[in-house]
Amino acid sequence: MITRKALPRRAFLRGVGTAAIGLPFLEAMAPAMTPATKAPVRMAFFYVPNGMMMDSWNPTYEGALQELPRTLKPLEPYKSEITHIGNLTHNTGRALLDGAGDHGRCSGSYLTGIQVKKSLVEIKSGVSFDQIVANRIGKETRFPSLELGMEDARQAGDCDSGYSCAYTNNLAWRSESQPLPPVLDPRALFERMFGSGLPMTPEEKVRQAKYRRSILDFVSGDTHKLQATLGPTDRRKLDEYLSSIREVERQIERAEKDNTQIDPKMDKPYGVPADFAEHFKMMSNMMAIAFQADQTRIITFLMTREGSSRPYRELGIPDGHHPLTHHRNQAELMEKVRVINQYHVQQFAGFVEKMKNTQEGDGTLLDNCMLVYGAGLSDPNAHLHEDLPTIIVGRGGNYIKPGRRVIARRETPMCNLFITMMDRMGVPVEEFGDSNGRLGGLDLPGVDLA
Amino acid sequence: MQFGRGKPANGAFFDSDFLSVDSLLAVALLHGLQQKSECRVAIVTVSRPNLKVAAYIDVVERFYRGPAAVFAQVPPTGMNTTGEEGPTSPAFIAPLEKTKPDGTPLFKSQVKRVLDTGDPSTLVRNYLQAQYEKGSYFILAGRASNLAMALNFRGVKELLAERSTHLVIAESAGFFADLPSARKVLADWPTPIIFCPDEIGKAIPFPGSTITKEFPANTPNHPVAEAYAAWKPMPYDAPATAVAAALHAVRQKEAYFKVSEPGRLSIGTDGKITFAPSAQGKHTQLSLDPAQKDKVQQLYVELATAKVVPPQRFRPPVAADAAKPADPADAVKVQPNQP
Repeated sequence: MITRKALPRRAFLRGVGTAAIGLPFLEAMAPAMTPATKAPVRMAFFYVPNGMMMDSWNPTYEGALQELPRTLKPLEPYKSEITHIGNLTHNTGRALLDGAGDHGRCSGSYLTGIQVKKSLVEIKSGVSFDQIVANRIGKETRFPSLELGMEDARQAGDCDSGYSCAYTNNLAWRSESQPLPPVLDPRALFERMFGSGLPMTPEEKVRQAKYRRSILDFVSGDTHKLQATLGPTDRRKLDEYLSSIREVERQIERAEKDNTQIDPKMDKPYGVPADFAEHFKMMSNMMAIAFQADQTRIITFLMTREGSSRPYRELGIPDGHHPLTHHRNQAELMEKVRVINQYHVQQFAGFVEKMKNTQEGDGTLLDNCMLVYGAGLSDPNAHLHEDLPTIIVGRGGNYIKPGRRVIARRETPMCNLFITMMDRMGVPVEEFGDSNGRLGGLDLPGVDLA
Repeated sequence: MQFGRGKPANGAFFDSDFLSVDSLLAVALLHGLQQKSECRVAIVTVSRPNLKVAAYIDVVERFYRGPAAVFAQVPPTGMNTTGEEGPTSPAFIAPLEKTKPDGTPLFKSQVKRVLDTGDPSTLVRNYLQAQYEKGSYFILAGRASNLAMALNFRGVKELLAERSTHLVIAESAGFFADLPSARKVLADWPTPIIFCPDEIGKAIPFPGSTITKEFPANTPNHPVAEAYAAWKPMPYDAPATAVAAALHAVRQKEAYFKVSEPGRLSIGTDGKITFAPSAQGKHTQLSLDPAQKDKVQQLYVELATAKVVPPQRFRPPVAADAAKPADPADAVKVQPNQP
């Protein structure tokens, strides 16, 4: 028998000014839910550019995941949560009479399943499937979706052989001509997530800037009131959650402080850390919070833009990523690409760890997620658009039975995976892009990983 | 027109049940024409669920296309997964059992299971999208199951009307083995259809003497020659209806065969095909031109046994290579098919 009023699932800690913090799923919310209600399913796409060294990505075996290939090694502790998918193809990324520009096409078509128009000014793609889902279920969360990235949000100019930068620098498309540019700046993301959404008065802005107070200070009144009503488990969960927010704040403050020592001529937005790993950690920590607090159920993350020529000096690689991937089978260049590929996965593994360690209901946050990590090209030297490197981490609300390598038939459209994911997100459709059916096999009985 | 070399040759889509050696020779002939830049073999699809056949076709395609070139790959072999597997000729197995002097296999196939093949309808759709307007044609030899399914596939019929010019059907027992599909293709295929009766194949067979002469002289260890020799006891001349259909599909204008007035092909309840002349009809049928017989047979041999050369590279040599002194032998390797 319920003797007290349950906490609403979408409760906020509100404070003075613009502050408002969503809450994670707490036991105190449970009575408000019917027994059949489950935690929502979330999905995120982590896109890495310039394809992948496939010899270090694809396992040499099938069935249960055993020792992971070199590139995926950082995910070894979480292999029981990974579904490694083979043979997915994006035909619309191929030239199809449009000539050079595989990078522009592969990112432009990645979530849209559309052959994008080769143009610098007449932008034409299609509504990406994440936005179809966001349009349907987005009203249930504070943000229908979050579009994030770490490099170059230019929306104009030639980024690949006559393809506009709008194609290489965005994953999500609201309409066929309107991409949703990713947020790159951790501070901007933080304020977007934890501001009330209302404009601050000039006085409030001045006060916040002057005292540099934590966002938690602004909601402390509400926090104390809520803590008094919670049981010990929920209190611990709330403490951990608020601590993670504070940690992100500290990271941002640290980065901003560091940035004051950087050569001001550098073309880098204010607040964006110079260090790739630190930048990723900040962004991914906020992604975890956004999922935990059910602020959104859909995130697209452009790790670096397609065709990126970012050097990785922190790894001792001063060469640009993209030029390296045209390695012409030269062992030294191929090795550098493998190192970069693994470095990207290493960052992602940190996010997976966080998701795995976050409790939600009887399981973990990861159980209710589908985190897709992949690229729009497979072999970058040959610019191949088949057997795209794709893994899903998480169980999609206990639908996916992970810990396996699932191989689709050759030439199976990537869009088959998308409509299967749309089913899990509660937005079933019969077709999307060039799909020819649903991707089978994700829900096959689990395998013995012992 | 990937790198500004001008409009490429039209794409050839070849679909067959491979119940006769005729179809293998047709594939060889198409590749011979591709080496002359008269066509591009887009995809080869198998219309029955027989993995050994698909594995062999994969060998043939890799043999002709060479190692994967930059920005190119060997397309998947399409295979129907419904219907009967049908007989497996030793011809499909023998080449895969051949070994080099060191004991390693002479030919390797990447097709080991159904997952290694592609869905024919998806392949037709995907590879049609890569053809220019009116820049392709189809050749059907055997049951029409794959093409009938493709007609039902989202968007394919419209693509066929836009990107394809004609379909040539080679008469065979297999074509009449799946009557519903044959009727559907005859009724719904959006481009003109040309029917190549088997009397042409019987009248102009493929000479079996080529297996010991032209094939080994031009290209030793040829998988088509190996299969031909294993199909039945040598020597024999193979009826060549599919070869004639393939030749006509590519070189329609050469008029190697007589073409009927327009009409309409239909299959009656007795399973026999009839042709009714009609000014509005989109169908025609071929008949033998005795005056061309020797020339046509000579072309079969010349094209199907043509020396196999690696595909041309689409990119200029890398800087390091460019710095080397020009070597005429290299030039031949880089652009073997330039007129």
